[in-house]
Amino acid sequence: MTIHKKTIGFSLIIAVCLAGASFLSVSAQNTSITAQQTEKIHSNCTSLKNTLNQLHSSDALLRVNMGQTYESVLTKLIDRFNSRLSNNKINNDNLKSATSEYNTALDVFRLDYKTYEERLSDALNTDCSEQPAAFYDAVAIARGERIRVHADVVRLDQLIDKYQQSLDQFEKDYRSVVQGLKK
Amino acid sequence: MSQAKKTPSGRNNFLVMISGAVVITGLLVVVSMSMYSSSGAAQLDLSRPGYVSVRDKAVKNDSDFQTFSSSGEINEKIISEFKISFAKQALKVKLVDAFGGDPLSPVSLGIDAVDPIETTQ
Repeated sequence: MTIHKKTIGFSLIIAVCLAGASFLSVSAQNTSITAQQTEKIHSNCTSLKNTLNQLHSSDALLRVNMGQTYESVLTKLIDRFNSRLSNNKINNDNLKSATSEYNTALDVFRLDYKTYEERLSDALNTDCSEQPAAFYDAVAIARGERIRVHADVVRLDQLIDKYQQSLDQFEKDYRSVVQGLKK
Repeated sequence: MSQAKKTPSGRNNFLVMISGAVVITGLLVVVSMSMYSSSGAAQLDLSRPGYVSVRDKAVKNDSDFQTFSSSGEINEKIISEFKISFAKQALKVKLVDAFGGDPLSPVSLGIDAVDPIETTQ
């Protein structure tokens, strides 16, 4: 009898959890889309797909070219200058710290772009004439991810500025040390 | 007699070997494809069919990007030279507003809730 009660209780808990999960899932997908929007998506499905395809290609090119430039700034300039300072036993903690932040931001950019591309591909794979609401949701998610990628780019630009400022400070300190030695 | 016994066994071994090779190949393909997509290489691979139109526009030669030497002494001239080449590349990076704008917004895609005819009226 006790076992029976326990089974019923356990089943109830499971049922409540499943109901909660399905409610959350539905509410996450349920974006308010008007009948007019549904009609627009349905009637312009082909042109929407073309627009998304063009964006998919142009963003991939941008990712390759910008990624290469960000990578080169790090590997061909920053890392090499830091190594040269270390080889000469010159303290460069501020530059190292700026480099570390830049490295982390570059990793975040790579990861966020990957997520964005996957979400945009999801939108492209959604049938907009048959599932306009799902298509709208998929585009909204991809949009959010693209905004995140843009924020990463802004952050990388800020960190390049930060490294430049640290470099200016380093130059000043170096000059004052050299002048001090001459005196 | 002994040869007659060996033949079916030899055939079986051959089939097992072929099947094993096919299974191992399949597994390796699955592993490599999952690595290809999970590592982010798929996103950088402009040889994919969807990227035909932009493939030729990828920068293949960054010869103006001079690699700074990691060896040698440090003096004011070297620091100044590094600053100039860094500033040049930094400017190049910042000139591009990468992933700016909002091309995926409902307005840009023409799927917003507001009817353009109603707005103009």
